[in-house]
Amino acid sequence: MTTLAEAIAADQLGDRVWLYSNYHCNLACSYCLTESGPKVERRELDPATMLDIAHEAKGMGFTRIGITGGEPFLVPELPEMLLELSAVLPVLVLTNGTLFQRSLLERMAPLGAADVTLQISLDHPDPVTNDVMRGPANFRKVVEAVPALLGLGIPVRIATTLEDGDAEDLPRLCMLHRELGVGDDDHVVRPILRRGRAESGDMGVRARYLDLPPELTLTADGAFWSPFAPTVRQGVLDTDLLLSRTTRPLQRPVDAMLTVLGGRPAGADSTLNIR
Amino acid sequence: MSEMTEREILRAPGGPRVRLIDADSAPLLVRDHFAGGDPGPIVASLAQVPELVGPTLPFLGTVLGPSWIPMREKEIVILRTSAVMGCRYCTDTHTVVALDSGLSHTEVRALRGDLPAAAAFPDVDDRALIAWCDAVAFGVEADIRPARAALTIDDARVVELTLLVATTVMLNRYATALALPTSPDVRDRLLQEAL
Ligand code: SF4
Repeated sequence: MTTLAEAIAADQLGDRVWLYSNYHCNLACSYCLTESGPKVERRELDPATMLDIAHEAKGMGFTRIGITGGEPFLVPELPEMLLELSAVLPVLVLTNGTLFQRSLLERMAPLGAADVTLQISLDHPDPVTNDVMRGPANFRKVVEAVPALLGLGIPVRIATTLEDGDAEDLPRLCMLHRELGVGDDDHVVRPILRRGRAESGDMGVRARYLDLPPELTLTADGAFWSPFAPTVRQGVLDTDLLLSRTTRPLQRPVDAMLTVLGGRPAGADSTLNIR
Repeated sequence: MSEMTEREILRAPGGPRVRLIDADSAPLLVRDHFAGGDPGPIVASLAQVPELVGPTLPFLGTVLGPSWIPMREKEIVILRTSAVMGCRYCTDTHTVVALDSGLSHTEVRALRGDLPAAAAFPDVDDRALIAWCDAVAFGVEADIRPARAALTIDDARVVELTLLVATTVMLNRYATALALPTSPDVRDRLLQEAL
């Protein structure tokens, strides 16, 4: 077994490689870690590179791919790219779920037979409260998109990002996701992280790198410790969780990650339920 | 994305031309370099690309740091080269190191170009070394040939001191291009020494 495979097998390192497909977004959520929005620089990973990375990752022993951003579905060729990527490794895509108009859903249909899961953000059972954080009509678009995607045979998870005090509304949100057809095992709840726009807005919990499960994450700016790492504050990329600017060959950032893991204090596991 | 904007660079004409990493933004693999306080602008700039720090610092330490050649001799080379290259950051920083390595105030002034070398260095070998630094830094073959002929040191010394000139030139270009700032401690010391 390689050192990487051993680290994955020992659960010291996630088996998924995350790719930041882009940084721009049609929304501009108040707690966004990446300060994404319609006008930010796109900083895309090009589709051919993402496919190459998937092949390389598989060859090294990674077993899953994650796509995040920004809003990945702003990348015009994403549905077709997901089909190709999923032929290499199972794919999880994080999306705000607001772009699934009929024409996009038609292009998504082939993914029903592929190994692609969507994780859609929904923060609150009350449309008004939800939309204050995530933008106008967000709630309506999400509750329409979830059944439509499930109807195509595409598995959907719901991700809820909670600010302190929102927890009492969680049972109502759980009723809602069940009604939409998403089971409890597919509901991810995590706190707002005090990085990016959340930090500027004085929101969320501060996390040390030890609180963030290590999952190799590649962006147009380099390789990072976790998908929660390549954050942006006041237009400047956070470098505290940067592993290396060099992302290829993948062995380079993997070596950097294994070096950091080697220096991690024993028993220093995450306590913040950030996943 | 972590770049300085054109406006930021123009707004701070005397400041560094890249963002210097501080302890809070130090990448995981280079945090140790920030544990003891400000590591200086060379490390703080290199930390933008963490994978450069690991290989570069030992190289610089080996070439510029203590070795079998006395530090006085090495500082003659580093300070002279930096002055010839017009690197404010390296000249200021190594003026202090040179004084602390046993070079006199007059010798330091001569190496900085404020006095003729002959006025401060009566030893012909020191003057030959200074001429070698000048020739290698300028890189003109017609100067390098006679300067090499005037050196009476053995080949091993020529190799190490020439690599020292070349590495100093590299750092001079780097520090000057990025306008790395002289530390307040060095500035205070230069004021004290009237340099
Ligand atoms: S949190 Fe997600 S949906 Fe909201 S602005 Fe950021 S990237 Fe877009």
